Amino acid sequence: MLRLLGAGALAFAAARAGAELGRGFDRVLDAVVRIDVREVTFEDGARRLSGGTGSGVIISRDGLILTNAHVVGPQAVEISVTLSSLEHVGASLVGWDHWTDLAVLRLDLAEVRRRGLHFTAGEFGDSDRLRPGETVYAVGTPYGLSRTVTRGIISNNNRPFEEGEDQRGFETGAFNNWLQTDAAINPGNSGGPLVTEDGRVVGINSRAFLGADNLGFAIPGNVARRISEALVRDGSITRSYLGIVPGALQDLERFYSLAANTGLLVDSVEAGSPAARAGLRPNDVVLELNGRKLDGRFPEQLPPIQNFIASLPVGSTVNLKVKRGDGVLTLTAVTERLESRVGEEWAFEKWGLSVRQVTRTYARENQLDSDRGVVVIGVQAGYPAAQAGLDPGDILTKIGGEPIVDLDRLKAAYRAYVARPEPVLVEAQRQRRIALYVFKP
Amino acid sequence: MRIVPIFPAWLALAAGAAAADVPTLLQERLASVVAVEFVLETESERRPATVLGTVIDDQGTIILPGNSIPATAALDQLHDFKVYPPGGDEGSPAEYLGPDALTGWQFLRAGAPVRAKLRAITHFADPAAPAPRLDDELWGIGLRGQDEDFAPYVLSSRIALLTRLPNQTAITAEDVAGPGLPVFTRDGRFVGLAQNSYGQNYVLFARGQNGTPVMLVNVEESSVIELAADVLPGFTRIPQHQTGRPIAWLGVSGVQPVDPDVARLLKLERQSGLVVSDIMAASPAAKAGLKDRDIVLAVDGQPFPRLKPDRVVTDYFAREILRRRPGDELRLTVLRDGERRELTVALGDEPKMIREASRHYFDRLGFTIREFLPLDGVANHGAPGDASGVVVHFLKPNSPAAVAGLRPDDWIREIDGVPVKDFADAVARLGRIDSDQARGEIVLLAGRGGETQVLRVKLN
Repeated sequence: MLRLLGAGALAFAAARAGAELGRGFDRVLDAVVRIDVREVTFEDGARRLSGGTGSGVIISRDGLILTNAHVVGPQAVEISVTLSSLEHVGASLVGWDHWTDLAVLRLDLAEVRRRGLHFTAGEFGDSDRLRPGETVYAVGTPYGLSRTVTRGIISNNNRPFEEGEDQRGFETGAFNNWLQTDAAINPGNSGGPLVTEDGRVVGINSRAFLGADNLGFAIPGNVARRISEALVRDGSITRSYLGIVPGALQDLERFYSLAANTGLLVDSVEAGSPAARAGLRPNDVVLELNGRKLDGRFPEQLPPIQNFIASLPVGSTVNLKVKRGDGVLTLTAVTERLESRVGEEWAFEKWGLSVRQVTRTYARENQLDSDRGVVVIGVQAGYPAAQAGLDPGDILTKIGGEPIVDLDRLKAAYRAYVARPEPVLVEAQRQRRIALYVFKP
Repeated sequence: MRIVPIFPAWLALAAGAAAADVPTLLQERLASVVAVEFVLETESERRPATVLGTVIDDQGTIILPGNSIPATAALDQLHDFKVYPPGGDEGSPAEYLGPDALTGWQFLRAGAPVRAKLRAITHFADPAAPAPRLDDELWGIGLRGQDEDFAPYVLSSRIALLTRLPNQTAITAEDVAGPGLPVFTRDGRFVGLAQNSYGQNYVLFARGQNGTPVMLVNVEESSVIELAADVLPGFTRIPQHQTGRPIAWLGVSGVQPVDPDVARLLKLERQSGLVVSDIMAASPAAKAGLKDRDIVLAVDGQPFPRLKPDRVVTDYFAREILRRRPGDELRLTVLRDGERRELTVALGDEPKMIREASRHYFDRLGFTIREFLPLDGVANHGAPGDASGVVVHFLKPNSPAAVAGLRPDDWIREIDGVPVKDFADAVARLGRIDSDQARGEIVLLAGRGGETQVLRVKLN
């Protein structure tokens, strides 16, 4: 009796689940793809190819695929997409934005047509309407297990989660909040969709706390939709930069003699930034920006404000109404284009040296006097750079007595070395201390 | 005629016989070694320490290895110096005399009661003796811990390597003495002082693991001996002041040696050189016109010797400065843009050091501030002359300041939204807040690595 009853209950549960997950859910399953990528890396002083596997979701009839920026990036040389029919198709990168960790690919439609393949496109749901506790499903390729569906709930629908840098050093998360879910998310789920029971894409799964129990994070679908449209149009997202590092004002209103829900507290002003030039100072409270009142009371409110600043036109004048002490003043700043700390990478194989161009952001973060030069990201043991004593993190500033103004200057010096190998003097800085090295054949 | 040569032979035989008797030699020489105990009293704890020392004169002066006292410890944090003779169960008080920047030693003077029992190591030294040679057999003294009444024991080994670092140094095959204690020849002559031990590379095989490279350092015994020829002259450098002043100062933070490949490319032949950078504003080096990227080749016309490893040349240069006094002139030969030039530097006085900095602890807030020093300006890459603010020196765990996110070495720029003028200003304002039981919070602006952060410290 007991066993029968048990079996009956199970059957009932299965029927119910089947009823909930209707045709919409089946369709989104058919839109989820596995993505295998081969990309160029410039680690350890050599140009190498490395492989990775992630997930994605087809979002249009003409074969656009949404995935994570950390799954497919500009260094990808080969992108292979596995459709739900298990067929492999090539794809190419359309646009990429590490700040939101999103990338858009396009299936090779000619190949799809030639081989008579079929796919369906997922549809976005409104991620702003998600409620904590609502059931969601993560679909993707965890540990290479294609088309894995896991189930959970929305654990939090507005989680601020700014990641200083990902594995490759790219900044992520300053401009949006995240969905938190307890649906199991493992390596390989990245780029796959978080979907509702009716099969609407409400998020792009992107991160999980390793070692924690089911603390996963997804980019909200509404953010993904907006960014993907811009990426299809322009290939990249242009953002403005002021150089304000905000802190939540939480409970400090009385200290600053402010009404509740007023103002954006300035924790830090980045050296040499437009905000610094405008005279903004730490401990200032920005009340209004171009006439719009700011409210940065809670950490959750900061990414939308950062996004508002980022969405201003580059080079535009920004009026800041600022409370400083008992006074209120107006400051004027001109926005700059936001730049990543990660500059262009390259490898000089005969030197066993891989480098990355120093950017303004990198120079600022590392308190360098200048944004000229390249930073060493890897050396290969036994090759001239390693033999000379260079280490990752060293900043090369001169070669053969000439300043390394940019990567091209170093490439030219490398070509000369390859054409006629002879010892060349290199100047580098380590923790701002200057030292000399020789690359010798 | 046949008798004459026998006489010296008999002498030699006598010396040989005495040399064999290490126990007797040890008994005599134990009066030259001590264990030293002292207490480092911080804001939250009393930390006792035990180190080993050697007696250098008949006034009871004792030297300890440099790192036996942390460089950041303020003088008023060092207490209860006590000297224990080997095998002794009772310590007698001693006075801390201060560090010497050139030798790196810490100096101490034993109190009158125990002085009579001490004997200077110089009694066992012979400045005219030949320098030690490879494979010479040496022995030295080690002392057990306090629970064994610092019982003395004997170590012995042979010289495996003689080198300059830049001081003349012998490395023995096995550990030969406790760090800070003397080493002798077989016949009892003082040959040098054991230094802190070097790390030895091993591969560790733990269960289920492949070999992991590890470095082991013996903190109780050492095989590194600085030789008497370079040790003995340092005995005259008894500090005039507990701070170790006067200390000559050049004002260059970045000094990097050039390796032989670079030297060849720069056509320096067999010469060594040092690339300078991070020159402090208004320092003696800056005033003399020294510039970033200058390569210093010689001091007072004396070229730097080739020393190995390359970085030893940096120490050599530092010692050339430290052996002089503030106000002394130093002639530097530098290579700039391929040309040699001579610069004359008038050495200055070392700027205030951490051990000298004024500090103040606030019990309720839970942190110690200290005045902003020129060194902090270098560390923070601050604008020259910007010495406003104070630095967090100590943070009590789980204190209100720690909970608020303050960290050691943070640079406090503002208190309650008002810039901190100087140390006195900060002490006055934080003191008022610390003692005002009605105060519920303060807001600090802390600088850290070129960025700032607004921190709210909740007090109730």
